[in-house]
Amino acid sequence: MSEQEQITRIRLKYAKGPSLRFTGHLDMQRLWERLLRRSGLPIRYSQGFNPRARLNLASALPLGVISESEMLDFWMDVPLPTETVRKHLAENAPPGLDIQEVTSVSRQEIALQEQMSASEYQITFYDPQPQSELEDKVAALLAADQLPRVRRNKTYDLRPLILDLKVTKADDGEIGLWMRLNAEPGATGRPDEVMEELGFTNTQYLACRTGLILKA
Amino acid sequence: MAAAIKELSNVPNSSQETLWRRVERILPTVTKPGRYVGGELNQVIKAWDSVRTHIALVFPDIYDLGQSNLGLMLLYDILNQREDIAAERAYSPWLDMESALRENDIPLYSLENKRALADFDILGISLPYETLYTNFLNILDLAHLPLRSANRDESHPLIIAGGQSVYNPEPVSPFVDAFVVGEGEEAIVDVVNTHQAWKTAGGSKQELLAALAKIPGVYVPSLYQMDFNADGTIAAVTPESPDLALPIVKRINAKLPPPLTRFLVPNVEVVQERVSVEIMRGCTRGCRFCHAGMVNRPIRERPLDEILTALKTGLDQTGYEEVSLLSLSSSDYSQIIPLINGLRELLQERQVNITLPSLRIESFTEDLMDELQSLTPGGGFTLAPEAGTERMRAIINKPISDEAFMDTVRSVFKHGWKTIKLYFMIGHPQETLEDVAAIAELCKAVLYEGRQIAGGRTRVHAGISTFIPKPHTPFQWVGFDSLESIQQKLDILHQGLHGAKVKMTWNDPEASLLESWLSRGDRRLSEVILKAWQNGARFDAWSDQFNMAHWRAAFTEVGLDPDFYSHRARGLDEILPWDHINAGVKKSFLKTDYQWSLQGKTRPDCRGGCYGCGILSAFNELRLVAPDGGWKCP
Repeated sequence: MSEQEQITRIRLKYAKGPSLRFTGHLDMQRLWERLLRRSGLPIRYSQGFNPRARLNLASALPLGVISESEMLDFWMDVPLPTETVRKHLAENAPPGLDIQEVTSVSRQEIALQEQMSASEYQITFYDPQPQSELEDKVAALLAADQLPRVRRNKTYDLRPLILDLKVTKADDGEIGLWMRLNAEPGATGRPDEVMEELGFTNTQYLACRTGLILKA
Repeated sequence: MAAAIKELSNVPNSSQETLWRRVERILPTVTKPGRYVGGELNQVIKAWDSVRTHIALVFPDIYDLGQSNLGLMLLYDILNQREDIAAERAYSPWLDMESALRENDIPLYSLENKRALADFDILGISLPYETLYTNFLNILDLAHLPLRSANRDESHPLIIAGGQSVYNPEPVSPFVDAFVVGEGEEAIVDVVNTHQAWKTAGGSKQELLAALAKIPGVYVPSLYQMDFNADGTIAAVTPESPDLALPIVKRINAKLPPPLTRFLVPNVEVVQERVSVEIMRGCTRGCRFCHAGMVNRPIRERPLDEILTALKTGLDQTGYEEVSLLSLSSSDYSQIIPLINGLRELLQERQVNITLPSLRIESFTEDLMDELQSLTPGGGFTLAPEAGTERMRAIINKPISDEAFMDTVRSVFKHGWKTIKLYFMIGHPQETLEDVAAIAELCKAVLYEGRQIAGGRTRVHAGISTFIPKPHTPFQWVGFDSLESIQQKLDILHQGLHGAKVKMTWNDPEASLLESWLSRGDRRLSEVILKAWQNGARFDAWSDQFNMAHWRAAFTEVGLDPDFYSHRARGLDEILPWDHINAGVKKSFLKTDYQWSLQGKTRPDCRGGCYGCGILSAFNELRLVAPDGGWKCP
C-alpha cells in the first residue's frame, strides 16, 4: 500500500456546551488544532513554513449558540481503530466539548460544508412565554410570503430559508421553539434572524443546535 | 436544554445562579463575550464549600492581556495544588462590559465559580506596571468594595498586591491592605496560611494585618506613618511599633521553583498563546536605567534539562504551536548553545515555532548566530544598543563600542537575516542633542551595511522609548526629561531619518510622563490616582484610552505639583518614597554607581567579580541553602 493510500479521513460528531458558547468559528478551528495536537494522533499536517492540522468543520455555529450536534472531518497519516481515536480525543478535550461519535469516511467524499442541507435549533427562553401568544406569532411568520432582510448590505428573503418552525412544550411545561433552517452553501438561515422577526433579542433566549442534516 | 443552561451553575446556590443568569443575558450585547466566561482547558474549579480559603487572582487589564500572564498563572497553579485553597481569576472588563455590569448592578465575578469578588477571602492583585493603577481601583469599585483599606473591615476580602511596580508601593498604599514585595511563589502561601490561622481564631482586621506584617517581604502600609517636610520631601517613615520591619526586605526564592507546565489554554484569541519557560531570573549587566535588572537580583539559572522537560510537557498539555523562553538576557544563559540544540530537536519533533527575546550584543558569538539562524529562519533580529554614541552608552552602563556593534550587525546580515530591529531610549541623563542625532546616523549605517551584505530587501526598524528614572536604580535621583525636550529630540530623529527608509516607532511622551509620576510618587500621589479614576481615567496603558486631561485635572484638584514628582532631580541625601523597601541592592551602591555615571565610568558585568551590591549580604543565609551553581554571583 502506498503512503498516499494510507491517509484516513475521520468524521467526528461532537457537542459544544455553554462554556464554549462564545468561542466563534475561527477560534473553534484553533481549539480543534490544539486538541488534535494534544491527542498525539498521527494527524496530517499541511506542508510549508507553518504546518497546520488539516481539518474541516461542517458548518459555522453562530456565536452564543450551543450545540448537541456538530460535525468535523480531519485526516490522519496512519489508520487507527475509531474507538482508539475517540478515546484519545475525549481525554484531551477542553471543558464543554463532548466527543460523541467517530467514524471513518471515504477520502473521495466532497467537503462537509458542501454536503450541508439543513440545521435544526431548539430555543429556550430565559423568561416564561405565554404559549398562545407565541403560537400566534409563529403562525403569522409562517403565513408571510416574503421576509425581506438585510445581511452585510445585501437584501435577501428569510422566508424560504425557514423549512419548519413550531412552539414546543417540554415535560416540565416549559414553552420553547423549534426550527429547521436551510443550511446549503450560500443559503443559510440563522436562528437569531428568525427570532428577531418574532420580536425577540438575543438577550432573551438561549439557542441550541440540535441537528445537522446532510444531503442524502 | 434547561439543564444545559444550568450546567455553568454547578452549585445550586441561589445568589450565585442569579448572578450568572444575569451575566448570561448581557453577554450577547458586548464585544468578545468569550473573555468573560472562563471554561478554559486546565482551569481548576473546586466545589465552593469544600475549601477553607477562596482567593481571587486579579489582573487589572482585559482578559486578552492578563490571561497569558505567566506570574499569575504560576500562582494559580501553586495555590490550587493545595486542597484547602480555591484560586480563581478575574480581569478588567472592557468598557462596554463595564457599562453593562454597572447598568444591571452586577458585581464583578470570578471566571471559575462565577462568584462575586466580594465573596472571596483574599483578592490578590497583580501590578506588573504602574499604568494599571486606575484599573485596579475600577475593579474594587466594580466588586462593590470600599476603595480605601481603612474603610474595609473583616467582612471584606483582604486586598493584597504584588508585582514589579510595588517595589514602590506608596502611590497605591491607601487602597491595599498588604503588599508582597519581591517573588511571590512562597510568600503567597505564607499569606494564605496566616489568613487561615487568623480566620480560625476569629480575630479583627487589625490582628490580621499585624500578623501579615510579620511575614518576610510583606509590607502593611497602614502600620507605617509617612511624614513630610515643608518643601514636600519626606521627613520620616515610622513604623507603628518597634517590632515592625524597617526596611522591608524583598522576598526571593533560594532556588527557582519548578517551571509551570499546566497552562490555561484560552478558548478565544489572546495576545500570547504559547508555552513560556523562564530560563533564568535576574541580570548581571547592570544597565543603570533598568529597573528589572536591579530589583530581580541575584541571577539564578534553571537547569537545562528542567527547561527542556517543561517545554515538552507544556506542549503536550496545551497543544500550542509556539514556545518562548523568558529572561532579561537570554544569550547570557550559561548553556545557551545546548539549549538551542535541544530546542531544535523539539522543533523537528513537534513542528512548533520558537521565540527567544532579549539577546545581548556583547554575548554574541558566531556559533550562537549559526545556531539561531537555523532555529528561527525568516524572523527579524532585535538588538538594543539603547543609545547612539559610545559616550552615552558608557553613561548608561551599556558599553558597546561602535565597532563591536557594527561587527555584530554585519554578522547578523551575513547569517541571512534581512530585518533588524533596534531599540533606543531618549531622555537619558546627560544626553545632548548630538547623542540623539547619532541614533539616526547609527540606523542609517546599519541600513547601509545591510544593503551591502543582504541586498535591497534589507529592513531597519528603530523603536524609540523615553527614559524614565525608576526607583531602585542608579538613576533614581535623576529628573525625567521635559516634554519640550523630548519632542525636540523626536523631531531630530524624524529629520535625521527622513527619506532613509528606516521605519521609526516611538512612545507617546505624555504616557511616559504619567509612568514617571506613578513610579516615583509617594503616598500623597494616591489622591491624584483616585481623582484621575473618578475623572474617568482607566486603561491608561492603552494609547487609545489614555487621557492626560484626567490626570492634569486630578493634580490640580488635589493641589499637588506634577513636576515635583517627575522633572525634579532628587537630592542624594533625600529620603526617597521607596527607601523603606529594600530590593536587595544597597542605596550606597546605587549612589556610587550614579556618581560613576557622571564620570562616564562603567561597571563591568558582575559575574566577573563581585562589586558588593548588597544582594549577597542581604540573602547570605538563603544562598547557603541554594543548590550548587544556581546563583551566578561569583
